[in-house]
Amino acid sequence: MASFIVVKKEDLEKKQNVEPCHTLRCLTSELGCLTRQDGSVSLSQGDTTSLAVVYGPAEVRISRELIDRATVELVYKPKVGLPRPADRKREQIMKSIFEATIITNLHPRSSITIILQETEDLGSNLACCINAACLALLDAAVNMSFMVAAVAVSVADEGQIKLDPSKNDEEKGRASITFVFDSVDLNVVSIVTSGKFSQIEYKAGLELAREASQKVFQFFKDSMSRKLIR
Amino acid sequence: MRETPLSNCEKEFILKNISEQRRLDGRNSYDYRDLRIAFGVSLGCCHVELGKTRVLAQVSCEVGQPKQTRPHDGVLYVNVELSPMACPSFEAGRQTEEGVELSRLMERCLKESRCMDLESLCIVAGEKAWHIRIDIHVLNHEGNILDCSSIAAIAALAHFRRPDVTVQGQEITIHSMEDRNPVPLSIHHIPLLVSFAFFIQGKYMIVDPSEKEEKVMEGKMVIGMNKHREICTLQVTGEMLLLKEQVLRCSNIAVMKVTKITELIHTALANDKQARLRGEKHGFAELISGEKLSSNQQPPIEVKPAFNIYEEDDDSMSSMESDESSLGHKVQEVDIKRYL
Amino acid sequence: MEKHIGCLVMPGDVLDCIKPVEENKKVILGPGLIEDGNFIKISKPGILKFRQPGVYWIDCHQKRYVPAKNDSVIGIITQKPGDIFRVDIGGSELASLSYLSFEGATKRNRPDVKIGDIVYAKLLVANKDMEPELVCIDSHGRSSGMGVIRKGGFLFHCHINLARKLLNPECVVLKQLGRRFKFEIAVGINGRVWVKANNEIQTIAMANAVMASELMNNVQIETMCKKLSKVSSGIDED
Repeated sequence: MASFIVVKKEDLEKKQNVEPCHTLRCLTSELGCLTRQDGSVSLSQGDTTSLAVVYGPAEVRISRELIDRATVELVYKPKVGLPRPADRKREQIMKSIFEATIITNLHPRSSITIILQETEDLGSNLACCINAACLALLDAAVNMSFMVAAVAVSVADEGQIKLDPSKNDEEKGRASITFVFDSVDLNVVSIVTSGKFSQIEYKAGLELAREASQKVFQFFKDSMSRKLIR
Repeated sequence: MRETPLSNCEKEFILKNISEQRRLDGRNSYDYRDLRIAFGVSLGCCHVELGKTRVLAQVSCEVGQPKQTRPHDGVLYVNVELSPMACPSFEAGRQTEEGVELSRLMERCLKESRCMDLESLCIVAGEKAWHIRIDIHVLNHEGNILDCSSIAAIAALAHFRRPDVTVQGQEITIHSMEDRNPVPLSIHHIPLLVSFAFFIQGKYMIVDPSEKEEKVMEGKMVIGMNKHREICTLQVTGEMLLLKEQVLRCSNIAVMKVTKITELIHTALANDKQARLRGEKHGFAELISGEKLSSNQQPPIEVKPAFNIYEEDDDSMSSMESDESSLGHKVQEVDIKRYL
Repeated sequence: MEKHIGCLVMPGDVLDCIKPVEENKKVILGPGLIEDGNFIKISKPGILKFRQPGVYWIDCHQKRYVPAKNDSVIGIITQKPGDIFRVDIGGSELASLSYLSFEGATKRNRPDVKIGDIVYAKLLVANKDMEPELVCIDSHGRSSGMGVIRKGGFLFHCHINLARKLLNPECVVLKQLGRRFKFEIAVGINGRVWVKANNEIQTIAMANAVMASELMNNVQIETMCKKLSKVSSGIDED
């Protein structure tokens, strides 16, 4: 089933003509937007919005208990319908990223649960979800060895690279790549690709995304300082 | 996951206060919490906040076969998602009693009230009809998710537009959004659920119970009603005896609440339409950044609107390249210039 | 080092100025700081704090409680299997509380504790690998303020850093409120606060005042308390 987006289309096109291709869309976050969770954040990148919540370190189901470290669980909830295999794959990718960032051996026999809700997918949804989850972990003050930031790029047919693509760019483009970087050395933590692209395009996209990821990390820091420094 | 249990001390305190017509958040017995309705960029996406309770509803559609028993009607699915997102005690993928009750009541409110004209969804009798699906995601459980969900669901239905369809002989054309303006669903009336919580053998009654009050209450009555004073659903749960007067009083209160909420939904829909027509910013991103900071009582410290627009011109390009060399990545200058 | 103290630090940041062993000076690392080889790494977002002689910690906002030894917490009794009570203290596991660890309790003379009661207790054992254990007596067998709280009042939940703020002897909000109102308060460092005032209205007022004070500065707190005492005296006159 599909949900339809119509009205903003002209808007988006207009924007596209004006804006350069290397723009990271406006980032907006609301930390602690929900009340029942240990950490929650609503993050929007342009019009793409996702909601992430974190519980933990909390009680774990006996069947998933690990003696030496915390169990990381991640649930991705699509807005329409039940989770499909593609969503499960996404869950797996994100879970492996966060298993690497969270220092799990500090809280054995407990669980750290991340739940992501897609609220509006208008391009670069995976990147938005990863960034939201990272911010939610920061909001919950879960022990992490580093932060992660995700930046998506798309490759248009002519080989032009668009940073933080909108839904339209993603659909029109030949390929889309989501890079995930760590905050310490800005090394790549994970890459999710679809479509065909050349090595050169990949490298150009990587460097562009790396540069953009610094802005995302700065945004994380600004968000936290707003919350913590009074 | 385990939820923090309610202590006896809280329970007694809440009951004592209710018996003195007082509530912890300063509301009167018959007051609703603040209600906020917002729509997303995509059509049929509605976000409702009732106090701190939050629900997101999304309507979607696809063409499928009508039901054998009703070949002239489209199909309406209602799916209520209670996941651990809203509250740690909810479990993903497992239907709890609460979840079943909630989805059953929502179905009764939306389907059995016949608020939507299902016949208009038929494309070819017995063969093709629109299947409309509402996904209701409870995001935060601070009590009374039922009323909140019913508002979100009906508002999302009213906001939704389906693609236009033309039938010529055997040929069915589904027009894309650019091709033809999408059509709204035909909605006859707006049924809404209003919950009442009862305490101490039905002696005390409150509207819009909060999460703690729900844990303490003895019984609950849910009235589904539209603004024409037509009752669509009525359900009483819990162990208590209710007097006839009490039921009548509830229905009178429900009339008032429903009228007020219906008005709010209409205003929200009109505002959204206006914003779209004028090409103003709308959607959830706006909800966080602009409006909310000022109109919501949330302390602005925790809310962070930041504009991080990163533009790259030739100057920063060269600086980027110097970064590269320091990082030890070898990318030829010419290549980058060509592809960026 | 000084340049980092009082500043916001994020997970992954490295504090190269603190060395794990600094010329026979001991360095104590609090929550949010992790020793990683020759460096100290940050694992939580927050403000870096320092106290003489060598205590470093991160002051962060958190809702979830992680049990630590000797913390005074407020727990809710959830089960009574046999000789122990299982108590919810907000951590990842239920804590155990032996019925013998109450003042004056013997095998014959069991304390009167029901499910759902709240207890003010101290953590005797808190370890990431072990089940937390509570006691309601000090090392001399005296209750010293701990035990079951059963005289009405109201329990509410708050952020852990607000609980820490309230437990600070210099806490402005409690001083200001205490000057104007008569109330009892018990603060568990696990983010649970029990309050009781003369009547229900005042109890609610106290609870709201304490919760609202989280995001206020001292001047705002004082204004709020003044306003509150004015309003409540107005009610009394009516």
